[in-house]
Amino acid sequence: MLEATGLMVFYENMLALNNVSIKCEDKQIVGVFGANSAGKSTLMYTISGIMEDIRKKEDMAGGERITVLGQVRFLGRDITDLKPSKRAREGIVLCPERRRIFPECSVMENLRIGAYLATSSQAKDTLEYVFKVYPPLERLQKRVGGFLSGGEQQMLAVGRALMAQPKLLLMDEPLLGLSPRIQSMLVRSTKEIRDEKGISIIVTEQYARPVLPIVDYAFILENGAAVLEGPRDEVLDNPDVRSAYFGVS
Amino acid sequence: MDILIYGTVNSIALALMALGFALVYGISRVPNFAHGALYVITGFIAWSLLRGLGLNYLLSIVLAIIAIGVVGALIYQFVLIRVRGMAISEIIASYAIGLAILEGLRWGGFKGTTYTLPVFIEGSINIGDIPVDLHRLLVIAIGIAVVAFLWLFTHYTRIGLALRGMAQDERAALMLGIDSDIMAVVAMASGAMLAGLAGIVLLPLGNIVVEKGYDVLIQAIAVCIVGGLGSWMGAVLAAFLIGFAQILTVVYLGTHFQMVVALLAIILTLILRPSGLFGMQKELEERV
Repeated sequence: MLEATGLMVFYENMLALNNVSIKCEDKQIVGVFGANSAGKSTLMYTISGIMEDIRKKEDMAGGERITVLGQVRFLGRDITDLKPSKRAREGIVLCPERRRIFPECSVMENLRIGAYLATSSQAKDTLEYVFKVYPPLERLQKRVGGFLSGGEQQMLAVGRALMAQPKLLLMDEPLLGLSPRIQSMLVRSTKEIRDEKGISIIVTEQYARPVLPIVDYAFILENGAAVLEGPRDEVLDNPDVRSAYFGVS
Repeated sequence: MDILIYGTVNSIALALMALGFALVYGISRVPNFAHGALYVITGFIAWSLLRGLGLNYLLSIVLAIIAIGVVGALIYQFVLIRVRGMAISEIIASYAIGLAILEGLRWGGFKGTTYTLPVFIEGSINIGDIPVDLHRLLVIAIGIAVVAFLWLFTHYTRIGLALRGMAQDERAALMLGIDSDIMAVVAMASGAMLAGLAGIVLLPLGNIVVEKGYDVLIQAIAVCIVGGLGSWMGAVLAAFLIGFAQILTVVYLGTHFQMVVALLAIILTLILRPSGLFGMQKELEERV
């Protein structure tokens, strides 16, 4: 479904992604794990095309020189040169790190802004579905986004991304800063979304432990390079990974 | 009583002048310093269509507002898009466009007191014992209609909601498939049309003169800074604050102090509360 090959991203002379190739098959949940600054967010931005927008803005303002190399193919089509809004139209929707919900809009408005690309019947169906997966949101409909708790914001961010009718959902550190209870609820719902909606998902995390049970295939990023990849069980059994990402020796 | 009536008229006039500026800044963070020029040139376009080509008044108004919308879109598409994200360059570029339009008009012979648009409705009525001409009442009605329309547009339509999303977090909007360049063009075009509409509605109260362009720009900026840059409802409330302050100044201190009010309001706001009276952004810190 998604196939990114040879991705290299430079911020000035700093190498943020070093020849990373990653792929996601239809209806798979792919996990990308790595420490801070391993390049997870850069990878997500590159796949969703946001990197192109950042590059353009930096370029125009005379800021950091960003270079992006490599190829991204989606559903058999080369989308390397597509703008982020076009990629979203193709079905790649990013649910960003730190959620970035619209703080001055209500929960309902956030969801309706998310439905920008959806037809009105799609929006209606998806809204029902979002409330089914995340029941608290239905109760909070009128609450202003900025006043939600972290967990509620995360539910809203995923719900908003779903409203955009994704075929491939990119989730950048969805569990960041949340309580274990909310974390396991979000992980469960992520699998539910895949199973019921047939949406492929790429999820990044620092700690693999909470997410790994639902992941089909995993990549480990270190200093911008993919050092290890494989089906879940294979990664799980790797002794280096066990010590580095699970705290098991 | 007369303070109340003329204060309201003045406030709504200020709100009309400021809304276009607030809209453009709120959505694309471009301070449109050509705002006043767009206001004035719409008046001249309408005048040319009405007097020069002899078109129907309503038709000339509609055509003038559409024309100014196109001008706004072109300004963004060909000039401002190249300096996006550089605040100083945006100000210089848009101010240069404004200067070019206004001084171009002056050079083209549009000066003096010969250029006036007719009022929409002749006549006046007495409220209590104060005579108010009907056009001023119409200004109030149009102002309320514009604010109501903007509110409905930004709360219930797809494009309006997308514009609000872009205003709050452009990158998050991009992720949802909202094209920021197209939205910025839409914002600039509608901002220009709002400036044009304000011109059409307010210019019949006086002559169409080039100097008004600078005046309107300062008033609009004052209202937006006091209300909190980018906040439309803040702009409306600030318009009432400044509007009444101006009328009170005129009544108790004299007409020539009127302009001081707007400038003083800018200075006071920047000293006391730089984010503006109704700037919301600061209160909603991100929760982690």
